[in-house]
Amino acid sequence: MDESAFGTLAQGFIPHGHCYLWTPSLVMLHAGSDALIGLAYVAIPIALLMVVRQRRDLPFSWMFVLFGVFIVACGLTHLVEIWNIWHSNYWFSGGVKFVTAAASIPTAYLLFRLLPTIRSMPTRDDLVYANRALKNANYELEQFSSAVSHDLRAPLRRMSGFSEALKNNHSGQIDEQGQHYLDRIQEASHNMEAIIDDLLSLSRLQREALKNETVDLSRIAERIVTELQQEDPERRVEVDIQSGLTLQGDANMLTMALKNLLSNAWKFSKEQSQARIRVGETTVGGRRVIYVNDNGIGFDMSLANKLFEPFQRLHGESRYPGTGIGLAIVDRIIRKHGGEIWPESRKGEGSTFYFTTEWRRD
Amino acid sequence: MHILLVEDNDDDIELTQLAFDQNRIANRLDVVKNGEQALSYLFRRDEFAHRKDDPLPALILLDLKLPGLHGLEVLEQLRANSTTRHLPVVVLTSSREQEDMLQSYERGANSFIRKPVDFGKFKEAVHQLQLYWLVLNESPFKQPQED
Repeated sequence: MDESAFGTLAQGFIPHGHCYLWTPSLVMLHAGSDALIGLAYVAIPIALLMVVRQRRDLPFSWMFVLFGVFIVACGLTHLVEIWNIWHSNYWFSGGVKFVTAAASIPTAYLLFRLLPTIRSMPTRDDLVYANRALKNANYELEQFSSAVSHDLRAPLRRMSGFSEALKNNHSGQIDEQGQHYLDRIQEASHNMEAIIDDLLSLSRLQREALKNETVDLSRIAERIVTELQQEDPERRVEVDIQSGLTLQGDANMLTMALKNLLSNAWKFSKEQSQARIRVGETTVGGRRVIYVNDNGIGFDMSLANKLFEPFQRLHGESRYPGTGIGLAIVDRIIRKHGGEIWPESRKGEGSTFYFTTEWRRD
Repeated sequence: MHILLVEDNDDDIELTQLAFDQNRIANRLDVVKNGEQALSYLFRRDEFAHRKDDPLPALILLDLKLPGLHGLEVLEQLRANSTTRHLPVVVLTSSREQEDMLQSYERGANSFIRKPVDFGKFKEAVHQLQLYWLVLNESPFKQPQED
């Protein structure tokens, strides 16, 4: 046999071209088709790889990679087929096939194992439906807060109004004990008003979009302290606010947060002979944090996790009145900005609240 | 000069009247209890048709949450009519919703006041309202002979 005309007889095997009787059109058909299949099989994994790299959120991306390997291997078997029309490297082509088989078996196996997970994935319709349900829930929440805002406040106002009218216009007919009861009604109405207001703030925080502006916390803190002093002119508190505390965020919300922290510091230091409040910045674990510190009554750190839950109070309401929602509001504001807040305290030794200022928003 | 109160709740009507009395406000307080009635009163039609020659109120205190026609719709219709377009309307409501306030101003309210829970503060608010809108403010409806 003339090797130059009929291809190499490697290891004594006859090249595939012989099976086609070297019919040029048949050889071209096989070689051309194998070349196209091989090309496509190499191109498909490139597309898969791009999908995986650009959509890192995709589940089971490893399955795409496995598919890619499997398809590249398949493509190689086709390219080797072309080679073997003229060369009879059947051990080599067998080896390539074996590699393909080795890649295909686990791919097939893992694909079957993945089936239940794939089947349980939410469909587009599911997501559309869930989204609609969420929108409804949100709408209901808005209706609810509007109801809280109006419908709970209105009867409260009437109770307060009529009890005050009773006290002012009919005081001659009411004895001292009765006057005392009327005062209790008044105060309870004011308490409930404060609770409704705080609850509303809490629910509004969820709905409102965050603004991004430069906020001068030092100036805001100064203003809040002035207000606290005006409301409570008898108190003497040594206040030390570091100047130039600026950060990026929502000015209104950060003011609300600072107001809650400062009025807590103000309130819980009231039994100190020399009350002291400090606002400043420091570094904790390499991060810039702002702190609000007081030398008040402090709290037991084992209860710290309860602190940020609404309606949780660590101290008696009669001695330290409040709605019990303030710190929940602070926590939500800081978290909404993408920051963290944590307390540090010891019973009887004051407390410090730290919050980070480098927001991480995803 | 008189004031029109649009308010459906009897308790609130009584408390407003009480606040007027305690502030010794001499102006008459007319009360209508829903939106339709408010429009009939102001446009002098239906049950108010016989009062065609009465002057319009110098101030309207409008509650938003009314049975039937909502306060905002009343406001809209007032602003659409040439005879009532310039009447001072103060929205007086329990609501603290930002949206209510924006919508009120959008429809041409002159002022938006959230009724304070504390009656003392409410009384003070009524006092200020009367002082501002009926004494200080110059209105095209103010009639010299009534001064």
